[in-house]
Amino acid sequence: MSTPVVFDPMTLPSDDNVDAYTFCVELKGSQWFLQKGKMIAYYGRIDFNGIGHGRFERLLRTSFHSPLHANDWVVAEGSGKMLLADRAFDVNSYDLDDGNLTIRSGNLLAYQPSLALKQSIVPGFLTLIGTGKFVAASNGPVVFMEPPLRVDPQALVGWADCPSPCHHYDHGYMTGVLGGLRSMTGLGGTSGEEHQFEFVGAGTVLLQSTEILMAEQPTGAVPGQAGVPGGGSQPGATPRMPGQLGDLQRRFGL
Amino acid sequence: MFRLQGSRTLAVDLAGDAVKAKNGSMVAYDGRVTFKKMTGGGDGLRGMVTRRLTGEQMSVMEVTGQGTCYFADRASEINLVPLHGDKLYVEASNLLCTDAGLRTGTTFTGLRGGASGNGLFTTTVEGTGQVAIMSDGPAVALRVSAQYPLFVDPGAYIAHQGNLQQHLQSGVNFRTLIGEGSGESFQIRFEGEGVVYVQPSERNTLGGDV
Repeated sequence: MSTPVVFDPMTLPSDDNVDAYTFCVELKGSQWFLQKGKMIAYYGRIDFNGIGHGRFERLLRTSFHSPLHANDWVVAEGSGKMLLADRAFDVNSYDLDDGNLTIRSGNLLAYQPSLALKQSIVPGFLTLIGTGKFVAASNGPVVFMEPPLRVDPQALVGWADCPSPCHHYDHGYMTGVLGGLRSMTGLGGTSGEEHQFEFVGAGTVLLQSTEILMAEQPTGAVPGQAGVPGGGSQPGATPRMPGQLGDLQRRFGL
Repeated sequence: MFRLQGSRTLAVDLAGDAVKAKNGSMVAYDGRVTFKKMTGGGDGLRGMVTRRLTGEQMSVMEVTGQGTCYFADRASEINLVPLHGDKLYVEASNLLCTDAGLRTGTTFTGLRGGASGNGLFTTTVEGTGQVAIMSDGPAVALRVSAQYPLFVDPGAYIAHQGNLQQHLQSGVNFRTLIGEGSGESFQIRFEGEGVVYVQPSERNTLGGDV
Protein backbone atom coordinates (compact mmCIF):
# COMPACT_ATOMS: atom_id res chain seq x y z
CA MET A 1 0.00 0.00 0.00
CA SER A 2 1.44 3.34 -0.98
CA THR A 3 0.58 6.23 1.25
CA PRO A 4 0.87 9.71 -0.22
CA VAL A 5 3.61 11.85 1.26
CA VAL A 6 2.03 14.64 3.23
CA PHE A 7 3.93 17.92 3.09
CA ASP A 8 3.89 20.69 5.63
CA PRO A 9 5.78 23.99 5.61
CA MET A 10 8.80 22.32 7.19
CA THR A 11 9.14 19.47 4.72
CA LEU A 12 8.31 21.39 1.56
CA PRO A 13 11.48 22.05 -0.42
CA SER A 14 12.74 25.60 -0.70
CA ASP A 15 12.92 26.89 -4.29
CA ASP A 16 12.83 23.38 -5.65
CA ASN A 17 10.48 20.88 -7.26
CA VAL A 18 7.97 19.06 -5.06
CA ASP A 19 7.41 16.64 -7.91
CA ALA A 20 7.85 16.92 -11.65
CA TYR A 21 4.69 19.03 -11.96
CA THR A 22 4.81 21.25 -8.89
CA PHE A 23 7.41 23.78 -7.83
CA CYS A 24 7.76 25.31 -4.38
CA VAL A 25 9.01 28.87 -3.95
CA GLU A 26 10.09 30.14 -0.55
CA LEU A 27 9.57 33.83 0.05
CA LYS A 28 11.34 35.52 2.92
CA GLY A 29 10.12 39.03 2.63
CA SER A 30 11.22 38.86 -0.99
CA GLN A 31 9.36 39.17 -4.25
CA TRP A 32 8.74 36.97 -7.26
CA PHE A 33 7.09 37.70 -10.56
CA LEU A 34 4.60 35.07 -11.64
CA GLN A 35 2.14 34.60 -14.42
CA LYS A 36 -1.46 35.06 -13.42
CA GLY A 37 -3.24 32.02 -12.10
CA LYS A 38 -0.26 29.72 -11.67
CA MET A 39 -0.25 29.69 -7.88
CA ILE A 40 -2.09 26.63 -6.58
CA ALA A 41 -1.55 26.90 -2.82
CA TYR A 42 0.54 28.67 -0.21
CA TYR A 43 1.44 28.75 3.47
CA GLY A 44 2.23 31.94 5.30
CA ARG A 45 1.44 35.53 4.44
CA ILE A 46 1.77 36.28 0.75
CA ASP A 47 0.16 39.11 -1.15
CA PHE A 48 -0.55 38.99 -4.84
CA ASN A 49 -0.73 42.28 -6.64
CA GLY A 50 -1.31 43.17 -10.23
CA ILE A 51 1.71 44.75 -11.79
CA GLY A 52 0.07 48.11 -12.29
CA HIS A 53 0.43 48.61 -8.54
CA GLY A 54 2.13 51.94 -7.82
CA ARG A 55 4.49 50.53 -5.21
CA PHE A 56 6.15 48.38 -7.84
CA GLU A 57 7.24 51.26 -10.04
CA ARG A 58 10.91 50.83 -9.20
CA LEU A 59 10.82 47.07 -9.41
CA LEU A 60 9.18 47.30 -12.80
CA ARG A 61 11.76 49.68 -14.08
CA THR A 62 14.61 47.32 -13.21
CA SER A 63 13.13 43.92 -13.94
CA PHE A 64 10.09 44.17 -16.15
CA HIS A 65 10.44 45.53 -19.63
CA SER A 66 7.36 44.30 -21.43
CA PRO A 67 4.97 47.06 -20.47
CA LEU A 68 2.35 45.90 -22.91
CA HIS A 69 1.75 42.54 -21.40
CA ALA A 70 1.98 43.61 -17.79
CA ASN A 71 -1.62 42.49 -17.38
CA ASP A 72 -0.60 38.85 -17.40
CA TRP A 73 1.84 39.11 -14.52
CA VAL A 74 1.53 39.53 -10.79
CA VAL A 75 4.04 40.16 -8.05
CA ALA A 76 3.99 37.80 -5.07
CA GLU A 77 5.36 39.37 -1.94
CA GLY A 78 5.58 38.30 1.69
CA SER A 79 6.94 35.32 3.55
CA GLY A 80 5.95 31.72 3.30
CA LYS A 81 6.03 28.93 0.79
CA MET A 82 3.95 28.84 -2.32
CA LEU A 83 3.33 26.11 -4.86
CA LEU A 84 3.32 26.83 -8.57
CA ALA A 85 1.97 24.59 -11.29
CA ASP A 86 0.68 24.94 -14.82
CA ARG A 87 -1.97 22.69 -16.32
CA ALA A 88 -0.16 19.57 -15.12
CA PHE A 89 2.81 20.27 -17.39
CA ASP A 90 6.35 19.50 -16.29
CA VAL A 91 7.93 22.41 -14.45
CA ASN A 92 11.61 23.03 -13.90
CA SER A 93 13.70 25.77 -12.45
CA TYR A 94 16.78 27.17 -14.08
CA ASP A 95 19.56 29.27 -12.63
CA LEU A 96 21.07 32.05 -14.65
CA ASP A 97 24.43 33.34 -13.57
CA ASP A 98 25.01 36.64 -15.28
CA GLY A 99 23.59 35.05 -18.38
CA ASN A 100 20.74 35.34 -20.79
CA LEU A 101 18.02 33.01 -21.92
CA THR A 102 15.25 33.41 -24.45
CA ILE A 103 12.10 31.41 -23.92
CA ARG A 104 8.72 30.96 -25.56
CA SER A 105 6.32 33.28 -23.75
CA GLY A 106 3.79 30.60 -22.81
CA ASN A 107 6.42 28.48 -21.07
CA LEU A 108 7.64 30.99 -18.52
CA LEU A 109 5.88 30.67 -15.16
CA ALA A 110 7.76 32.78 -12.66
CA TYR A 111 11.09 34.51 -12.08
CA GLN A 112 13.08 36.35 -9.44
CA PRO A 113 13.17 40.10 -9.76
CA SER A 114 16.97 39.97 -9.89
CA LEU A 115 16.42 38.95 -13.50
CA ALA A 116 15.21 41.40 -16.09
CA LEU A 117 12.46 40.28 -18.42
CA LYS A 118 12.47 41.76 -21.90
CA GLN A 119 10.62 41.10 -25.09
CA SER A 120 12.76 39.25 -27.58
CA ILE A 121 13.21 40.54 -31.11
CA VAL A 122 11.83 37.16 -32.14
CA PRO A 123 8.04 37.53 -31.88
CA GLY A 124 6.42 35.41 -29.17
CA PHE A 125 9.60 35.00 -27.17
CA LEU A 126 10.84 36.65 -24.00
CA THR A 127 14.42 37.14 -22.89
CA LEU A 128 15.65 36.96 -19.30
CA ILE A 129 18.92 38.68 -18.49
CA GLY A 130 20.92 38.72 -15.29
CA THR A 131 21.45 36.47 -12.29
CA GLY A 132 18.69 34.56 -10.60
CA LYS A 133 16.23 31.73 -10.79
CA PHE A 134 13.23 31.25 -12.99
CA VAL A 135 10.62 28.55 -13.39
CA ALA A 136 9.43 27.31 -16.75
CA ALA A 137 6.90 24.73 -17.85
CA SER A 138 7.23 22.34 -20.74
CA ASN A 139 5.14 19.64 -22.29
CA GLY A 140 7.22 16.66 -21.25
CA PRO A 141 10.75 16.86 -19.80
CA VAL A 142 13.16 19.40 -21.24
CA VAL A 143 16.15 18.27 -23.30
CA PHE A 144 19.29 20.41 -23.50
CA MET A 145 21.18 20.40 -26.79
CA GLU A 146 24.33 22.02 -28.06
CA PRO A 147 24.45 23.86 -31.38
CA PRO A 148 24.99 23.44 -34.24
CA LEU A 149 21.63 21.76 -34.69
CA ARG A 150 18.28 22.12 -36.42
CA VAL A 151 15.12 21.75 -34.40
CA ASP A 152 11.44 21.37 -35.10
CA PRO A 153 9.60 24.66 -34.53
CA GLN A 154 7.01 23.06 -32.26
CA ALA A 155 9.58 21.42 -30.01
CA LEU A 156 11.58 24.57 -29.33
CA VAL A 157 11.27 25.94 -25.80
CA GLY A 158 14.12 28.43 -25.80
CA TRP A 159 17.82 29.01 -26.06
CA ALA A 160 20.56 30.41 -23.86
CA ASP A 161 23.77 32.34 -24.44
CA CYS A 162 22.96 33.67 -27.87
CA PRO A 163 23.28 31.07 -30.53
CA SER A 164 21.81 32.55 -33.68
CA PRO A 165 18.33 31.24 -34.41
CA CYS A 166 17.24 31.27 -38.02
CA HIS A 167 14.84 29.49 -40.32
CA HIS A 168 15.97 26.57 -42.41
CA TYR A 169 14.06 25.10 -45.33
CA ASP A 170 14.75 21.86 -47.10
CA HIS A 171 14.91 23.30 -50.55
CA GLY A 172 14.67 20.01 -52.34
CA TYR A 173 11.09 19.86 -51.17
CA MET A 174 10.17 23.44 -51.54
CA THR A 175 11.42 24.71 -54.87
CA GLY A 176 10.41 24.17 -58.44
CA VAL A 177 6.87 23.96 -59.79
CA LEU A 178 6.45 20.44 -58.47
CA GLY A 179 7.80 21.42 -55.09
CA GLY A 180 5.44 24.36 -54.92
CA LEU A 181 2.45 22.21 -55.75
CA ARG A 182 3.58 19.62 -53.29
CA SER A 183 3.94 22.01 -50.40
CA MET A 184 0.64 23.72 -51.24
CA THR A 185 -1.47 20.63 -51.60
CA GLY A 186 0.41 18.07 -49.63
CA LEU A 187 0.12 15.74 -52.64
CA GLY A 188 3.13 13.67 -53.40
CA GLY A 189 4.04 13.49 -49.76
CA THR A 190 5.36 16.10 -47.41
CA SER A 191 7.10 14.80 -44.36
CA GLY A 192 6.00 17.77 -42.28
CA GLU A 193 9.64 18.38 -41.48
CA GLU A 194 10.67 20.64 -44.34
CA HIS A 195 10.99 23.64 -42.10
CA GLN A 196 13.26 23.80 -39.06
CA PHE A 197 14.95 26.31 -36.85
CA GLU A 198 18.69 26.26 -37.16
CA PHE A 199 21.06 27.14 -34.33
CA VAL A 200 24.76 27.77 -34.68
CA GLY A 201 27.26 29.32 -32.32
CA ALA A 202 28.03 28.70 -28.68
CA GLY A 203 25.16 28.16 -26.28
CA THR A 204 22.42 25.80 -25.25
CA VAL A 205 19.10 25.03 -26.91
CA LEU A 206 16.13 23.82 -24.85
CA LEU A 207 13.66 21.42 -26.41
CA GLN A 208 10.51 19.86 -25.05
CA SER A 209 9.88 16.23 -25.75
CA THR A 210 6.61 16.67 -27.62
CA GLU A 211 5.51 18.78 -30.53
CA ILE A 212 2.40 19.98 -28.77
CA LEU A 213 2.84 23.67 -28.14
CA MET A 214 1.78 25.27 -24.93
CA ALA A 215 -0.70 28.08 -25.40
CA GLU A 216 1.13 31.26 -26.16
CA GLN A 217 0.93 34.26 -23.93
CA PRO A 218 0.73 37.52 -25.80
CA THR A 219 3.99 39.36 -25.32
CA GLY A 220 2.56 42.71 -26.21
CA ALA A 221 2.93 44.66 -29.43
CA VAL A 222 6.22 46.26 -30.35
CA PRO A 223 6.48 49.89 -31.31
CA GLY A 224 5.48 50.38 -34.96
CA GLN A 225 8.85 51.57 -36.12
CA ALA A 226 10.69 50.93 -39.30
CA GLY A 227 13.25 48.22 -38.75
CA VAL A 228 11.51 46.63 -35.79
CA PRO A 229 10.55 43.03 -36.64
CA GLY A 230 6.80 42.73 -36.26
CA GLY A 231 6.56 46.48 -36.07
CA GLY A 232 4.37 46.35 -39.11
CA SER A 233 5.82 49.14 -41.24
CA GLN A 234 7.77 47.04 -43.71
CA PRO A 235 6.53 46.90 -47.27
CA GLY A 236 4.91 43.61 -48.26
CA ALA A 237 3.51 42.97 -44.85
CA THR A 238 2.69 39.27 -45.35
CA PRO A 239 5.84 37.21 -45.59
CA ARG A 240 5.96 34.89 -48.56
CA MET A 241 6.24 31.22 -47.93
CA PRO A 242 8.44 29.43 -50.40
CA GLY A 243 6.27 27.47 -52.75
CA GLN A 244 3.45 29.95 -52.52
CA LEU A 245 1.38 30.44 -55.68
CA GLY A 246 2.35 34.09 -55.88
CA ASP A 247 5.88 33.01 -56.52
CA LEU A 248 5.03 31.43 -59.88
CA GLN A 249 6.19 34.50 -61.76
CA ARG A 250 9.50 34.39 -60.06
CA ARG A 251 9.76 30.68 -60.67
CA PHE A 252 9.46 31.18 -64.40
CA GLY A 253 11.81 34.12 -64.25
CA LEU A 254 9.19 36.70 -65.30
CA MET B 1 -6.39 -4.30 -1.73
CA PHE B 2 -5.66 -1.11 -3.64
CA ARG B 3 -2.35 -0.63 -5.38
CA LEU B 4 -1.20 1.55 -8.23
CA GLN B 5 -0.14 -0.02 -11.49
CA GLY B 6 1.81 2.88 -12.90
CA SER B 7 0.40 6.21 -11.76
CA ARG B 8 -2.75 6.18 -13.85
CA THR B 9 -4.16 2.72 -13.32
CA LEU B 10 -5.56 1.38 -10.08
CA ALA B 11 -5.33 -2.35 -9.44
CA VAL B 12 -7.64 -3.81 -6.83
CA ASP B 13 -7.11 -7.34 -5.56
CA LEU B 14 -10.44 -8.84 -4.65
CA ALA B 15 -10.87 -11.91 -2.47
CA GLY B 16 -14.59 -12.24 -2.29
CA ASP B 17 -14.98 -8.69 -1.02
CA ALA B 18 -16.44 -5.66 -2.77
CA VAL B 19 -15.42 -2.15 -3.82
CA LYS B 20 -17.43 0.75 -5.16
CA ALA B 21 -16.04 2.34 -8.31
CA LYS B 22 -17.02 5.04 -10.74
CA ASN B 23 -19.35 3.58 -13.34
CA GLY B 24 -17.53 2.44 -16.46
CA SER B 25 -14.02 2.94 -15.08
CA MET B 26 -13.00 -0.74 -15.32
CA VAL B 27 -10.34 -1.25 -17.97
CA ALA B 28 -9.40 -4.88 -17.38
CA TYR B 29 -9.80 -7.72 -14.91
CA ASP B 30 -8.74 -11.27 -14.36
CA GLY B 31 -10.47 -13.90 -12.28
CA ARG B 32 -14.20 -13.91 -11.66
CA VAL B 33 -15.48 -10.41 -11.13
CA THR B 34 -19.01 -9.09 -11.43
CA PHE B 35 -20.13 -5.50 -11.87
CA LYS B 36 -23.44 -4.14 -10.69
CA LYS B 37 -24.63 -0.58 -11.21
CA MET B 38 -25.69 0.99 -7.94
CA THR B 39 -28.63 3.29 -8.31
CA GLY B 40 -28.20 6.84 -7.09
CA GLY B 41 -24.57 6.82 -6.03
CA GLY B 42 -24.88 3.84 -3.69
CA ASP B 43 -26.05 5.83 -0.69
CA GLY B 44 -29.44 4.20 -0.35
CA LEU B 45 -32.77 5.77 -1.06
CA ARG B 46 -32.26 8.86 1.06
CA GLY B 47 -28.82 9.44 -0.42
CA MET B 48 -30.25 9.07 -3.87
CA VAL B 49 -32.81 11.76 -3.28
CA THR B 50 -30.17 14.02 -1.76
CA ARG B 51 -27.88 13.56 -4.73
CA ARG B 52 -30.69 14.34 -7.11
CA LEU B 53 -31.54 17.50 -5.21
CA THR B 54 -28.00 18.72 -4.73
CA GLY B 55 -26.72 17.98 -8.23
CA GLU B 56 -23.75 16.11 -6.74
CA GLN B 57 -24.57 13.10 -8.86
CA MET B 58 -22.33 10.14 -9.02
CA SER B 59 -22.81 6.97 -10.91
CA VAL B 60 -21.27 4.07 -9.09
CA MET B 61 -20.94 0.36 -9.63
CA GLU B 62 -20.30 -2.35 -7.12
CA VAL B 63 -17.48 -4.69 -8.05
CA THR B 64 -17.35 -8.09 -6.34
CA GLY B 65 -15.56 -11.37 -6.92
CA GLN B 66 -12.20 -13.07 -6.87
CA GLY B 67 -9.27 -11.74 -8.83
CA THR B 68 -7.71 -8.45 -9.83
CA CYS B 69 -9.63 -5.59 -11.37
CA TYR B 70 -8.00 -2.57 -13.02
CA PHE B 71 -9.57 0.88 -13.05
CA ALA B 72 -8.64 4.03 -14.93
CA ASP B 73 -10.44 7.14 -16.13
CA ARG B 74 -9.25 9.36 -18.98
CA ALA B 75 -5.61 8.94 -17.99
CA SER B 76 -6.09 10.97 -14.82
CA GLU B 77 -3.47 10.56 -12.15
CA ILE B 78 -4.68 8.38 -9.29
CA ASN B 79 -3.90 9.02 -5.64
CA LEU B 80 -4.54 6.59 -2.80
CA VAL B 81 -5.87 7.98 0.45
CA PRO B 82 -6.05 5.77 3.54
CA LEU B 83 -8.89 6.56 5.92
CA HIS B 84 -8.77 5.61 9.60
CA GLY B 85 -12.18 6.53 10.85
CA ASP B 86 -11.96 10.10 9.55
CA LYS B 87 -13.87 11.82 6.83
CA LEU B 88 -12.70 12.68 3.32
CA TYR B 89 -14.39 15.45 1.36
CA VAL B 90 -13.98 15.04 -2.37
CA GLU B 91 -15.78 16.12 -5.51
CA ALA B 92 -17.87 13.34 -7.01
CA SER B 93 -16.06 13.81 -10.31
CA ASN B 94 -12.67 13.17 -8.63
CA LEU B 95 -13.72 10.00 -6.83
CA LEU B 96 -12.65 6.80 -8.58
CA CYS B 97 -12.97 3.94 -6.15
CA THR B 98 -13.70 3.25 -2.46
CA ASP B 99 -13.72 0.21 -0.23
CA ALA B 100 -17.27 -1.07 0.07
CA GLY B 101 -17.13 -0.64 3.83
CA LEU B 102 -16.83 3.14 3.54
CA ARG B 103 -19.94 5.27 3.79
CA THR B 104 -20.46 7.89 1.15
CA GLY B 105 -22.76 10.87 1.41
CA THR B 106 -23.19 14.47 0.42
CA THR B 107 -22.58 17.61 2.35
CA PHE B 108 -22.99 21.34 1.92
CA THR B 109 -19.73 23.17 1.25
CA GLY B 110 -20.92 26.72 1.28
CA LEU B 111 -19.44 29.45 -0.82
CA ARG B 112 -16.21 27.59 -1.49
CA GLY B 113 -17.96 25.14 -3.79
CA GLY B 114 -19.43 27.93 -5.82
CA ALA B 115 -16.04 29.53 -6.32
CA SER B 116 -14.28 26.33 -7.35
CA GLY B 117 -16.86 25.65 -10.01
CA ASN B 118 -18.02 22.45 -8.38
CA GLY B 119 -21.43 23.37 -7.14
CA LEU B 120 -22.43 23.98 -3.58
CA PHE B 121 -22.30 20.38 -2.46
CA THR B 122 -19.55 17.82 -2.20
CA THR B 123 -19.22 14.10 -1.55
CA THR B 124 -18.02 12.73 1.76
CA VAL B 125 -16.39 9.36 2.36
CA GLU B 126 -16.25 8.12 5.93
CA GLY B 127 -15.00 5.05 7.77
CA THR B 128 -11.88 2.92 7.67
CA GLY B 129 -10.44 1.75 4.39
CA GLN B 130 -8.93 3.07 1.20
CA VAL B 131 -10.09 5.61 -1.32
CA ALA B 132 -8.68 6.31 -4.80
CA ILE B 133 -9.10 9.89 -5.98
CA MET B 134 -8.25 11.32 -9.38
CA SER B 135 -6.48 14.52 -10.27
CA ASP B 136 -5.10 16.30 -13.31
CA GLY B 137 -1.43 15.66 -12.63
CA PRO B 138 -0.33 13.96 -9.40
CA ALA B 139 -1.87 15.54 -6.34
CA VAL B 140 0.24 17.14 -3.62
CA ALA B 141 -0.89 16.48 -0.06
CA LEU B 142 -0.44 19.47 2.24
CA ARG B 143 -0.82 19.29 6.01
CA VAL B 144 -2.76 21.97 7.80
CA SER B 145 -2.18 22.52 11.50
CA ALA B 146 -3.10 25.17 14.00
CA GLN B 147 0.02 27.26 13.39
CA TYR B 148 0.05 26.71 9.63
CA PRO B 149 -3.17 27.62 7.90
CA LEU B 150 -3.14 26.91 4.17
CA PHE B 151 -4.41 28.98 1.26
CA VAL B 152 -5.51 27.13 -1.83
CA ASP B 153 -6.57 28.27 -5.26
CA PRO B 154 -10.17 27.08 -5.73
CA GLY B 155 -9.35 25.68 -9.16
CA ALA B 156 -6.59 23.44 -7.84
CA TYR B 157 -8.45 22.05 -4.82
CA ILE B 158 -9.57 18.43 -5.14
CA ALA B 159 -10.11 16.97 -1.67
CA HIS B 160 -9.44 17.36 2.02
CA GLN B 161 -9.67 15.21 5.11
CA GLY B 162 -9.67 15.78 8.83
CA ASN B 163 -11.17 18.47 10.97
CA LEU B 164 -10.82 21.58 8.85
CA GLN B 165 -12.72 24.81 8.57
CA GLN B 166 -12.72 26.50 5.23
CA HIS B 167 -13.30 30.13 4.44
CA LEU B 168 -13.50 31.76 1.10
CA GLN B 169 -11.21 34.73 1.06
CA SER B 170 -11.30 37.40 -1.54
CA GLY B 171 -8.69 39.95 -2.39
CA VAL B 172 -10.94 41.91 -4.68
CA ASN B 173 -10.22 45.60 -4.44
CA PHE B 174 -10.55 48.61 -6.64
CA ARG B 175 -7.63 47.44 -8.77
CA THR B 176 -9.59 44.36 -9.77
CA LEU B 177 -12.35 46.60 -11.00
CA ILE B 178 -10.07 48.68 -13.18
CA GLY B 179 -8.66 45.55 -14.80
CA GLU B 180 -5.49 45.19 -12.79
CA GLY B 181 -6.56 42.15 -10.82
CA SER B 182 -3.95 39.73 -9.63
CA GLY B 183 -5.61 36.59 -10.98
CA GLU B 184 -5.38 35.19 -7.48
CA SER B 185 -8.22 37.12 -5.93
CA PHE B 186 -10.12 34.17 -4.54
CA GLN B 187 -8.53 31.68 -2.21
CA ILE B 188 -9.85 29.10 0.20
CA ARG B 189 -8.31 29.38 3.64
CA PHE B 190 -8.11 26.08 5.52
CA GLU B 191 -7.73 26.12 9.29
CA GLY B 192 -7.67 23.31 11.83
CA GLU B 193 -6.01 19.93 11.63
CA GLY B 194 -6.01 17.85 8.49
CA VAL B 195 -4.68 17.29 5.00
CA VAL B 196 -5.60 19.11 1.79
CA TYR B 197 -5.01 17.63 -1.67
CA VAL B 198 -4.26 19.99 -4.55
CA GLN B 199 -3.61 19.19 -8.19
CA PRO B 200 -0.93 20.89 -10.32
CA SER B 201 -3.51 22.33 -12.69
CA GLU B 202 -6.41 24.71 -12.42
CA ARG B 203 -9.97 24.15 -13.47
CA ASN B 204 -11.76 27.10 -14.95
CA THR B 205 -13.47 28.76 -12.10
CA LEU B 206 -15.85 31.59 -11.63
CA GLY B 207 -13.25 33.68 -9.85
CA GLY B 208 -10.31 32.54 -11.97
CA ASP B 209 -9.93 35.65 -14.07
CA VAL B 210 -10.28 38.37 -11.50
